[in-house]
Amino acid sequence: MRVPRSLDSTGARVLGAILIAVLLHLAGTLLIPGYSSPFAIRAMLVLACLLAVACVGQTLAIIIGGIDLSIPFVIGFANVVAAQLYGDGMNFVVVCLIIAVLSLGIGAVNGAISAGLGIHPLIVTLGIGTVIQGSVLVWTKGFPSGSAPNAVTKFVSIGGSVGPIPVPWLIPSFIVLSALIILVLNRTPYGRRLFALGSNPRAAALALINPLRMWMITFALSAFFAAGAGVLLLGFTGSAYGDVGQPYLFQTIAAVVIGGTALVGGRGSFLGTVAGAVVLTEINTLLIGLGLQPSLVQAALGLVIILLVSLYGRERHVRATI
Amino acid sequence: MTAFTDTSTAPRSGGLVRAIWRRIGFAPALLIVLLIINIWLNPVRFAPGNWGILIGLAAPLIGAALASTPAILGGRGGIDVSVGPTMGFVNAIVVKVLITDLGLSSPFVIIVAALLIGLAVGAVNGFLAAYVRIQPIVATLGTYLILIGVTLTILPAPMGSVPDWLKTLNGPLSIVPLVVVFLIWWGVRQVPYYDQLMATGSDDRAAYTAGVPVPFVRFLSYVITGLFAGIAGLMLTALIGSADANIAPSYTLIAISAVALGGVSLAGGRGGLIGAAIGAVDIFLIQSALTLINVSTFVLQIAYGTILVIAISLTAIQDRLEARARKR
Repeated sequence: MRVPRSLDSTGARVLGAILIAVLLHLAGTLLIPGYSSPFAIRAMLVLACLLAVACVGQTLAIIIGGIDLSIPFVIGFANVVAAQLYGDGMNFVVVCLIIAVLSLGIGAVNGAISAGLGIHPLIVTLGIGTVIQGSVLVWTKGFPSGSAPNAVTKFVSIGGSVGPIPVPWLIPSFIVLSALIILVLNRTPYGRRLFALGSNPRAAALALINPLRMWMITFALSAFFAAGAGVLLLGFTGSAYGDVGQPYLFQTIAAVVIGGTALVGGRGSFLGTVAGAVVLTEINTLLIGLGLQPSLVQAALGLVIILLVSLYGRERHVRATI
Repeated sequence: MTAFTDTSTAPRSGGLVRAIWRRIGFAPALLIVLLIINIWLNPVRFAPGNWGILIGLAAPLIGAALASTPAILGGRGGIDVSVGPTMGFVNAIVVKVLITDLGLSSPFVIIVAALLIGLAVGAVNGFLAAYVRIQPIVATLGTYLILIGVTLTILPAPMGSVPDWLKTLNGPLSIVPLVVVFLIWWGVRQVPYYDQLMATGSDDRAAYTAGVPVPFVRFLSYVITGLFAGIAGLMLTALIGSADANIAPSYTLIAISAVALGGVSLAGGRGGLIGAAIGAVDIFLIQSALTLINVSTFVLQIAYGTILVIAISLTAIQDRLEARARKR
């Protein structure tokens, strides 16, 4: 009755996600002329990287057994604050430091309220996110101004290059970041505590893992990476926009789940999330390339997410959990 | 599971008040305070003669909150984020397809269509979440995207108008659909299914071991959620009096906030429709009061988020104190 262990494991799910990304890309290449042109591939890489940066926090939050709905609001917050402060003539390094501190604080509050009072993080992060969004709107009076520094624009530009390699610096930097995150998840006390807390909070408490501290660190990291995505998006689009993060609300969750991380916590990997982000980017590009209306692209995306997750992201039957 | 704790504590002194307090939490107190503030700010708007319109204004939010509850009660991440888009889809089909294109405006056709659409969406969600076993937030996110996409394709721009009988649901008869929802839920509570749902939500493994058909119970909870979402779609249609694809989706997250505010545990197995309704009225009154004192929508958003977090924190703190008092 039970699924063989090798098929059920996270590793198989990650492989599945990678396989589907490759298949989607082959389908795109066959169906749409120019789908595999260097420029198109570079564009998809950049888009997938931006999404994956926003997904770092969602992966951590979901592994610990929570969820972070404040990500789109923090993205918008960082996006607008960076543009506004830089536009006012502040040194960009200082701007980034301010945003980093503020976002870490926002995330720590999310984690503290969720874990400290035992409230579902879905509601806490939604409430805090709404407050953040409102605050940014009050501060800018609804009309954010300012622009991105050239360095950031160049860093994420699709036409950029690293020495002889024709990709912007974002790509190699992201690969290093991913390696670091995977290392932290698999080889450090923090990573082990994260998985332990996600798979069995009671046992984790007995193993002297402080849940409040872990939740605060994890959600602070989540907000930090969301803010990073917000600053990178500022470079990508060129001007500030408070709602720039909105598509990322559900896309981050979808990418994490397609990548084989279980929403109940305790299982998952960042490599899977990266594959999930690539899959989502491929689907989007493919559907737009096929000439679908934006509204139909959305509908098809929903259908594909359901199909993919029903292929290899299924939960166990309740009888198998006893 | 909750049913047992309730009966055991009810006979105590002040049992009823305590029971309500624990079931719903902080929300009713907030409701009274907000009601007083609102009446003080604008007595005319809250005069009995305007109750019909007032309820009509709050109805879609209350309906969305009621609709979100059954799926959440089922536990293990049970949630339906497609409630808002389902309301929008009902709105589009009723006004664009039935009334405008086919010229059908009889209540029988429209009400039956809305209910059937709701049931169908709920059945799909329930099938995906309970039998295909896709994590509910992802499964319903899929239907969320599909419904929004299809609705926008049917209805690229707002249009149309509604027959007079439907307009009365935004005036004198605005309470009727809400009463219908509560009657249906009252019926559900009379049958064993209700206890099975609460048991599944509290501890699905224990329930399964005790012979509860857990997947079927969860499936039905989504069907009920869909049915209520269909009714909420009618309320929305009555309120806006036309077809508009862009209004409904935003109800999803506010409804889930309302449900949580009303003391329904997002982990399942605890809470009920009355709590969800009170939570929704709270949110409506917060928005109403802030609009009455003429703050900008930006400040409204900050206040709304802050009150939500504070209210839910207070409920959690009060729960802990209760639990500590019970241990003693």
